[in-house]
Amino acid sequence: MALVKPFVPSRARFARPYPGIVACLAASAALALAAGLSGCGSGAAAGNVITVTAGACGTGWQDPKPGLQTLRIYNGSSVGGEVDLIDPANGGIYGEVESVGPGTTAAMPVNVGSGSYAFRCLLDDADPMTGPVFKIGGHVRAAAAIAPVTDNDLIEPAKEYHAYVTAGLIVLAGQTRALAAAVQAGNLAAARAAWLPAHLTYERLGAAYGTFGDFDDEIDGRATGLPGGVGDPKFTGFYRLEYGLWHGQSAAELTGPAEQLYRYVLGLQAAFPTMELSLLDMGLRTHEILENALEFQLTGTDDYGSGTTLATTGANITGTLELLQVLHPLLVSRYRALPQVYVWLNRLQSLISAQHQPNGSWTPVAALAARSREQIDAAIGQALQELAPIAAITEPRTT
Amino acid sequence: MSEANPPAESGPVPAPGLPGSSGLPGSSGSSGSSGPRRRAFLRGAVGAGLAGAAAGGAAAGYAYRSGRPAPSGQIAADDAQIGRLPAVPFHGRHQAGILPRPQRQTAVVSFDVTADGRGELTDLLRTLTDRARFLTAGGTPPPVGIGAPPSDSGVLGPTVVPDGLTVTVGVGSSLFDDRYGLAGRMPAGLTPMTTFPNDDLDPAQCGGDLILQLSAGHTDAVVHALRDIAKNTRGGMQALWRIDGFNSPARPAGTVPRNLLGFMDGIANPDTGSTAEMDSLIWVRPGGGRPAWTAGGSYLVVRLIRMFVEFWDRVGIGEQEGMIGRRRDTGFPLDADSLYASPDYALDPTGDVIALTAHMRLANPRTKQSAPSRILRRGYNYDRGIDAVGDLDMGLIFTCFQQDIKRQFETVQTRLIDEPLVDYISPFGGGYFFALPGVTGASDYYGRGMLA
Repeated sequence: MALVKPFVPSRARFARPYPGIVACLAASAALALAAGLSGCGSGAAAGNVITVTAGACGTGWQDPKPGLQTLRIYNGSSVGGEVDLIDPANGGIYGEVESVGPGTTAAMPVNVGSGSYAFRCLLDDADPMTGPVFKIGGHVRAAAAIAPVTDNDLIEPAKEYHAYVTAGLIVLAGQTRALAAAVQAGNLAAARAAWLPAHLTYERLGAAYGTFGDFDDEIDGRATGLPGGVGDPKFTGFYRLEYGLWHGQSAAELTGPAEQLYRYVLGLQAAFPTMELSLLDMGLRTHEILENALEFQLTGTDDYGSGTTLATTGANITGTLELLQVLHPLLVSRYRALPQVYVWLNRLQSLISAQHQPNGSWTPVAALAARSREQIDAAIGQALQELAPIAAITEPRTT
Repeated sequence: MSEANPPAESGPVPAPGLPGSSGLPGSSGSSGSSGPRRRAFLRGAVGAGLAGAAAGGAAAGYAYRSGRPAPSGQIAADDAQIGRLPAVPFHGRHQAGILPRPQRQTAVVSFDVTADGRGELTDLLRTLTDRARFLTAGGTPPPVGIGAPPSDSGVLGPTVVPDGLTVTVGVGSSLFDDRYGLAGRMPAGLTPMTTFPNDDLDPAQCGGDLILQLSAGHTDAVVHALRDIAKNTRGGMQALWRIDGFNSPARPAGTVPRNLLGFMDGIANPDTGSTAEMDSLIWVRPGGGRPAWTAGGSYLVVRLIRMFVEFWDRVGIGEQEGMIGRRRDTGFPLDADSLYASPDYALDPTGDVIALTAHMRLANPRTKQSAPSRILRRGYNYDRGIDAVGDLDMGLIFTCFQQDIKRQFETVQTRLIDEPLVDYISPFGGGYFFALPGVTGASDYYGRGMLA
């Protein structure tokens, strides 16, 4: 159950205007000032407070200077919204504050160099608005702007990913049917052999968990959090079967769970064509799939007896690479360290593959040599660090 | 950190040298002719308890032994680091450690009671009371002469300083089985801890007959108290699980301490200065069919919550703040411009500013209906090494006090099921306990009403 729920970020605009602007309390302003967190009223005197109103986007940047600084964005309008610091020539984004409520101040840390800057405001129920252009002279190089990714940019990658999942589900249906048939026939050796490829097929679909909804719990849920643990009737799917197949449960006992798994897969397959992939999830999943592999597979937590969590991790890498492939056109121009992502994913993949024994079995994580385990953990950790920026870069933005 | 009423910080001059170096016969010669001998040490220790001592005595003790005075700058620096905390009065209707803000250091230790029968259980609770009474007040451990090893570990020096120590004692539902004839005296609604859907509970770190929370200004005071209590109760109870915690200084000063997600935590708590609020939310009241002995106590929920900080650190700031509902830098609610401002959810019914699933909003919707479910949070951070994949094992020792676990903690926790934050945290241990009524005087002891 590599379930990372999609967080729906506060990108939605304020549903309706606030009746008025919240007044700044003197006490809070004093506190904020004392804390070095200027904002609201007194903050204006400290400089670098950028004011946004219904009619003017980003005024008050006195004498802009290059360098690392924290701009305070005060929303003096009666609605909430988002404020960006952009390159007015091409719309590239230097800094962003999401969801600044009316009457509140948010910090925008930026590193600006010589060049032109403007603020762009996306206030609720209003057209995007770009404020006056600020010029910083000299020859100071600073952080580069990143071109925003829009919903539109993500539609094609999402379609490609949808097709990938659809194809995977066809394979999965066949594999879980074979698995159920083996259990029903009482051939548990064959069932154990059929379990792993079916599970890996599912684990390769990683990016789609958010859209699978309850199906994911049913197909790939863990026993944790269930009052009855592994004996709980709500413990179903791959891990339920794994537990039974590797803990001496009988074919009679496992026939129900095996057929149930097959039915869930058919249900998912039937429902999937109308399931929409969240565009936001596309980027989030590029690191979340392996975050879950680290938390649940490489720790051995999700080993219900077969000792194949390294194989699962390998399947998760495949799913991550598929996502990166569909997002590649968007990333290649926006993420300079993208090659590093592949360097580390490839290293991780090699380290994992080295634990696939010639007889087809996998080394259980608990049996890994200390050095091998350290190398795997280090590689996935670094891969995750390299992957983390992708979610921020590909978050769908309005332009 | 009140500076009022500073307790004796250490022994008088002359003070002993390092423990162990002067204590063995014949060893004093090697530490110089000015080193005190064993008998002098004992007399000095007794004197300390009677007379109290001047600040800086510890440093002076070194100086005496080494034959050169400690620089005054060092004494001042040591003093500043010590930060004397006054003794917290032990006797009272309620246990003294429940209402105060979290201290700098804590240890939470759960025990199973091994006492054989009701009489031994009574002895255990009497001993626990005596130790807590002494440790929280401070003073000089009694000399034992040649009759026994020292009565005190010496970890705090020859005179035990209180350092603000509080001892909070609670009992779990398992104590009310058939071992001690207490089955009919179970506090109302006390059960084993519920497993919530996002929990990953390790039975070895859950529950227990008796919970002990020791909090103080410094780790040495906590550890000293734990060693003292443990050595005096060896046969009566056996440690089941333990976790140590710390509370960070408020940064910036004047704000609220942060948890290890980087967010200020515990901003909106019930007002501990309000008797009415404490009586309606925290203390068990007499009557209502509840066992009479439980009046004045409070229910304690402990939840050990791992935070996947590596994962969290790979999440964008907008998403982090959206999940919590506050700004990470200032602690302000996303819809307000001050720390203690109440978020106005009525103005934001669809969650555009503060998401409907934000932790803060689910935990405390701030409606008339949700008001009775408020809890007094007294959490500490924990940091204890690494996990199986080399990631940092740190998180939160969530503790809260309340009048009714079902009405309060469980209601709050039920609202939090499947909140977006669940992917970054994992509850793995803890338990439900009843924090006993306070020890009211010199002849009273923990659980007297329960055993009567």
